[in-house]
Formats: sequence, C-alpha cells, structure tokens
Amino acid sequence: MEWCLHINGAGDLKGDLSLEHISSLERSAALQSSLTLTARLIHEYFGEINFTRCVFGNEFCEHLAPSPAALESALATTNSQNLAFTLLTPYVSNGGITAYKKLFVLLTERGGGEVVFNDWGILNLLRREFPMLIPVQGRLLNKSLRDPRVTTIYAASPAPPAAITALQRSNLDCDSYTGLLSRLGVETIELDNLPQGNDLSFSESGMKISVYLPFGFISTSRICMAAGLHYRKQDKFQPGAPCRHECQTHLLEYTYTNSPFGNRDQKFYLKGNTYFYLHTEAMMRALFAQAQEGRIARLTLQPRLPMTQ
Amino acid sequence: MKILAPISSYDELEMLAANGAEELYCGIVPREWMEKYTGAIWLNRRSPKGGSLDSYADLKRLVDDAHKLNLPVFITLNAPYYTAEQMPLVLELAHKLSDDVGVDALIVTDINLLLRLSEAKLATDLHVSSVAATLNTEAVRFLLNFGPSRIILPRSLTLAEIELIVNDVRDQVEIEVFMLNDGCAFEEGFCSTTHHHTVGAFCTSLSEMETNFEWAGRNLTNRRQKWLRNNLTDYREWVWYVNGNGCGATPKGLPFGPCGLCAIPDFHRIGVASLKIVGREASPFKKMASVKMVRDIVDRVRTGIPKLYVIERAKSLREAPEHCASGFMCYYKVD
Repeated sequence: MEWCLHINGAGDLKGDLSLEHISSLERSAALQSSLTLTARLIHEYFGEINFTRCVFGNEFCEHLAPSPAALESALATTNSQNLAFTLLTPYVSNGGITAYKKLFVLLTERGGGEVVFNDWGILNLLRREFPMLIPVQGRLLNKSLRDPRVTTIYAASPAPPAAITALQRSNLDCDSYTGLLSRLGVETIELDNLPQGNDLSFSESGMKISVYLPFGFISTSRICMAAGLHYRKQDKFQPGAPCRHECQTHLLEYTYTNSPFGNRDQKFYLKGNTYFYLHTEAMMRALFAQAQEGRIARLTLQPRLPMTQ
Repeated sequence: MKILAPISSYDELEMLAANGAEELYCGIVPREWMEKYTGAIWLNRRSPKGGSLDSYADLKRLVDDAHKLNLPVFITLNAPYYTAEQMPLVLELAHKLSDDVGVDALIVTDINLLLRLSEAKLATDLHVSSVAATLNTEAVRFLLNFGPSRIILPRSLTLAEIELIVNDVRDQVEIEVFMLNDGCAFEEGFCSTTHHHTVGAFCTSLSEMETNFEWAGRNLTNRRQKWLRNNLTDYREWVWYVNGNGCGATPKGLPFGPCGLCAIPDFHRIGVASLKIVGREASPFKKMASVKMVRDIVDRVRTGIPKLYVIERAKSLREAPEHCASGFMCYYKVD
C-alpha cells in the first residue's frame, strides 16, 4: 500500500516527514487532537511510514487553484525527492476549465503525473488534450451518503440489510461503471472513509482504492459564506463570486446541538465553501483493518483541513 | 422555451395544463422498492411520501391524458447512484416506463445508469438531472457520449455561465434551467446529505446549531468576531430565503422561494429550452400559483415586451418588494 501526503507547497517537504511533525502542521486547536489521534493510530497499525507520493491542490474550490509558480515549485521539490505527484482539481465553471488547462500544460511539460478529477468536464479535457496525464476519479464523484448526522444511526439501527448495504456502497460496485472508468483510462478511485463504513468489495474489479484521512467531506457549494465577508449584504452569496481567499483566515466549528438523536456532541467544520466531518477512532480502526486486508491501494494523509490555498 | 411543471397526482393534470404548464415531470416509487429499502433509501430525489406516484396504473393514466393535451411527461430516476443490487430493479422500471407507460423522458443523475439506458436504446429520451452537476461546456460534451436530449443545469450557474454553455452546445442538446421554488444552499450534486424528515436538510439544520469561530494565526479579536458573526447572520438569512422564506407565502397564499422570473427575457434570448418549476411534493395550490406566475412572464416575453417592463411585472407578481430587494430570493442576478 502506498502512503501519500497532501502538501500545501514545497515547504512541507523541506523538513522532517515524521508523523509527529506532520501531525503538527494544522494550526487549528479544534482539529489538532484529531491529527494527533490519526498519527497515533497510523503508528499503531503501520509503524513509521514512508510517503512515496504527494498530492497538491484543492478538490473543492476553483478559486483555490494553485498558481503555475506554486505548481512548478511543488513539482520541482517532489521530483527532487523522488516522490510521485498528483494534482487535485475541484468542480469547475468554464472559467475554471481555462485556469486548470494552464496547469495541465505545465504538468505535462514537467513529465506528467496524476490528476484527480471531481468534474466530468475535467476528465473530458484530460482525455482530449492531455493523454499523458493519468486521471483519478475524485471523492466528490463518489456519491455515497456521508451525512454524519444520520449515517451512523442508520448503520447501528435494525434497518433492512439491503438499505445498509446500499449506504455502504455506491455505483462503484457495478461492473458496467468500473468498466466505463477503465475505458476512460481511470484505474484509481478516491473515497472518503464513510461514517457508516465502506463496503470495498468492488476492489475485486481491479480498481485501485485510495482513501483520505482524517477529514471527510459532507457538502460543498459554489456559494461561499466566507467570500461574503467583503461584499455588501445584497451582493453576498453569489455563485462563483470572486473572493479574497477569506476562507484562509478562519474556521467555523458547528456542534450538532439540535440533534434528535443522542449524538449532540458531534462536530462539523466549515472552511470556505465546504463542510467536513472528522474520522472517529472507530472509523480509522475500521479503515486501517481494511488496509491491512489489502483492499486499499493508497492512503492519503491530509495534515490540514484540505482547504488550503 | 417551455414551462416545465412538477406533478405528483393525476388530479393535478387538468389544473396545471389549464394554467400554462407545457411539460410535466414526476416520480414513481413502486411498491417493490419500498418493501426492500423502506423510506431510508430514495429511488429519486424526493421522499416516497408525497413526492411520487406509487402505481403504474396511475402514471399510465396521467401520461395518456397528458399526451392528449400535448404535454410530454418526464420521470425522475435521479438518485445520485444505484448499486449493483438496485440496478436490475431500476432498469426494469425504466423499460416499463418507456415501453408500457410511454413516458417521454427519464431524468437521470447516475452516470452508470445513463450509460446503461443509452445502451438499452429505449424509445424514451434521456435528460441529465441537475444533480449531475454539469457546470461547464466540457462536462456537457462528456455527457453527450451517452446521447441525452436535454441537460438540466444546476441552479448555481450564473446567467453569463449559462449563456456560454448554451452558445457552445445549442445545436447538440437542449438546456433546461431552474425557474422557481426550492433552492439549495450547496451544490446539489456534491451534497452528500439527506433531507430525511428525522433530521431535515443539512443547510437549515446548521442554522440552529451552536457555532464557534477560530481565527488563523493571531487572536480572534472582538471586532473580528463581530465581523464573522454578522456575516454568519447574513448567511443564515440567505439560507432562510433558499428554504422558501421559511416555507412562507404572501397574504394571498402565493408561495415564496427562490425565483428566476426576472431572468426569463435573458433565457429567451439565450435560447434555453425549458424553465423548471421545482416542487413535486408541493401542494396543488402552490404548483398552480407557480405555473401561473411563470406563464404570465413567459407570455409577455413571447410577445416581445421589453425586459425592463417584464422585470417590473415579475416583481409585482411576487407581491413582496422587500424580498425581491434583498437580492437573496433570486436564482440569478440580472443586469
């Protein structure tokens, strides 16, 4: 199994890549304990790990696309350290397609690599104009329910087995779909670690499974609360509106105080346009057990909430 | 440019046709699905209770009589995904809807289902649901591989973005846009939450949760805290609008909710094929009032009334100038 690190830039690779150091990169006090827990559990299951790949970029917001200079710098550093490279891309407007096309040109010129697509338009562009780049289906195109308010409740309740199975799977268990992806040149699928558990039996199709930790995405939007900070009220919350990356200044933590169930201590995190849940210890243990069974080809550690610029 | 109205019962057909609907869409949830998956797993994007028909006989009667009125009927099969176990049931349903019921199009989200239906070469057309999150021309081109006759654009696209897409693909596929009623605070195709009645929509649920801001770097000063809190309050107000002004209505009972009436002249000019009114689960009165409002504006646009007069009329129809002025009730910003 491959270990992959989500880097914020070349600077992340200049220092110590130990779990202890990496788990201290996130500045948020609210998130720190989760990263410490993640590092402890990784060590418990896998010992000290070696990263052989880096991911760079953003999956959720086209306004957070890296500059060509930042991409070039990240590429140079990963190449110099013999690390494989993956560029993340989000869902995009036509404007985003234009912006990412420049990055794909650069990536191709620098020897290529993987591109995670979370938008069918990005895949179409890659296939037509950048056949050297390797497409990876991103986690936003995996449509499994990830509503942590209820999915753990469903999983623990005496719901019909067919319903539980449907919640732990997706269209990825259909041979027709994995066959389509293969024909499109996709061999790797990214997933979230679901609160209700993942049924990874589709790995028998030959698709490689890559899972992120310790943050799962809940929901995302072209309408960004943080971007509204600098607008007059009547102009706030417009789709795709230009921003000043206000999302980089703060984090908003929600506590599920209005839950009809017993999970009122549950937390959700908003940064920019996207909401996240944290993996619990039980979720990570379940994921690592699946990794040890050989069902997972890659684990990507995100040492910061993945909304960095 | 057609007016697409939601319908959830045969009894609504005559009323919707008489008030100006030109296309209809609805859902059906067969008994076999409910027995197997209960209400926890939705066959389409609405709860089985209230948003969908539940028998082929009812649907057949609706489709046959709608066709007598020259109204095509489209059916939602637009769950974000179907598993391998579900797929045979869904494909069987699609064949029945096409061959036995004679529906005019199936509205599909899951790329795998789209693939399977395109290979099945059904008599019915395929429409790509807004839940597929088709946000750019390249994505439309990708979807054209599966032969859809129409693509429904998400409500999060701006007028300028819609115009770019329509200009690029107008000869290859019809484009449908949202016109009235429910909003979505998130990108619908990238929202992995449920609207199940036990918890409600995530976006509105968030508005009632305790919150805590954490500032990156230096201290979160009182001034910054106030700045962030004020913005959160504005955002929650916007979510209230997205949620149909808290599911409210004017004193005359006209429904509030996200609205694109002022953009109809632009959609007509751009060449959008269809204007979608949301709300299969809504009351017959809300459906009727919605169709009447859209038809009123569309008729004016069709007769060439200038845009500014049309916008003035649209705002007067909403009977709530303060809500129109807020800017939060509009799907689209109109110049």
